[in-house]
Amino acid sequence: MQVTPPSSLRELFVGFLSIGARSFGGVMPWAHRVLVEERRWISQEDFTAVVGLCQFLPGPNVGNASIVLGRRWFGIKGSIVAFLGFFGLPFVWVLALAALYADFSSDPVVKRVVIGVAAAGAGLFIGTAIKLAKPIARSPAGLAVAAGCFIAVGIGRVSMLIVIPVAALASYLLARNKLI
Amino acid sequence: MILLELGLFFSLLSLLSVGGMPSVIPEMHRYVVEQKAWISHTDFIEMFALGQAAPGPNVLISSLIGWKIAGVPGAFVTLAAMCGPAAVISYWVAGFWERMKDRPWRAVAQRAMVPMVVGLILSGGFVLATPGGTPDWRLWLIAGLSAAGMVATKLNPLWMLAAGGVLGAVLL
Repeated sequence: MQVTPPSSLRELFVGFLSIGARSFGGVMPWAHRVLVEERRWISQEDFTAVVGLCQFLPGPNVGNASIVLGRRWFGIKGSIVAFLGFFGLPFVWVLALAALYADFSSDPVVKRVVIGVAAAGAGLFIGTAIKLAKPIARSPAGLAVAAGCFIAVGIGRVSMLIVIPVAALASYLLARNKLI
Repeated sequence: MILLELGLFFSLLSLLSVGGMPSVIPEMHRYVVEQKAWISHTDFIEMFALGQAAPGPNVLISSLIGWKIAGVPGAFVTLAAMCGPAAVISYWVAGFWERMKDRPWRAVAQRAMVPMVVGLILSGGFVLATPGGTPDWRLWLIAGLSAAGMVATKLNPLWMLAAGGVLGAVLL
């Protein structure tokens, strides 16, 4: 497949704008569609590698991808332009939606609907965790680390500042010994 | 100065957000609802629901929380703080990570991250669906169905959110 990077900052901005603007129900599928299929800025393999890196880095995944790709093509200017293009419209929309909601939130039915949506959103997190757990499904040590994090953070409500360093060290040592 | 406090706290979250925003939802909730009591649990999950349903990256939930606490300036500050430190790291690490492609520690670190992210995201789901740590079967039912829908089908997650809204209106 012929891959052609964006030729101008303007094109970069519009490309990332079109990812942010359309990403109902999840950003990653739209990022793939725009970057790989519609605009053909990067190849499938490249997309997988960038996403893999961005999932490893802290921060929003596609937000990080805008930084990494913008830098590759136009340096720091590219990072800023891609990032602003990506966040611009969703930021405005979400605040408009919240302002609109403030006018209706006293309605008991609206409130019940929104709490139901939140519970379903919580379920999406649980579904994501289950999907992500596939690589460790056969590793007792991996499942133990996951369970330990859940018990400490989810049930015990211990601060992540304490849990992350301990879990990261334990997990790294286990992974180095091929137990995860 | 609440904006400063918000900015510092969300910058810290930004650095901790391995696996993206879902991983730090439990910590965000712990701090703004349980420790500081800036907003209620209901406020928190309302903003979460709006952020999930709106188009765009789910990190915008943090700007909604900031908006609820400190208005439009709060929204800007939390989003910038949530993205900024992570963006700086991404900018510098991208090249380094590419060069480390064949080093064994890179694969080890990648494997080691999986169980942590799984445990943290699961915690996020649990905290959001369990107000005040008290189980409510109706919320768990909605969350369970939505999780099952996500694992078993390839439906757009918006369908799960819509079904959750309908069930919420009927059950709650």
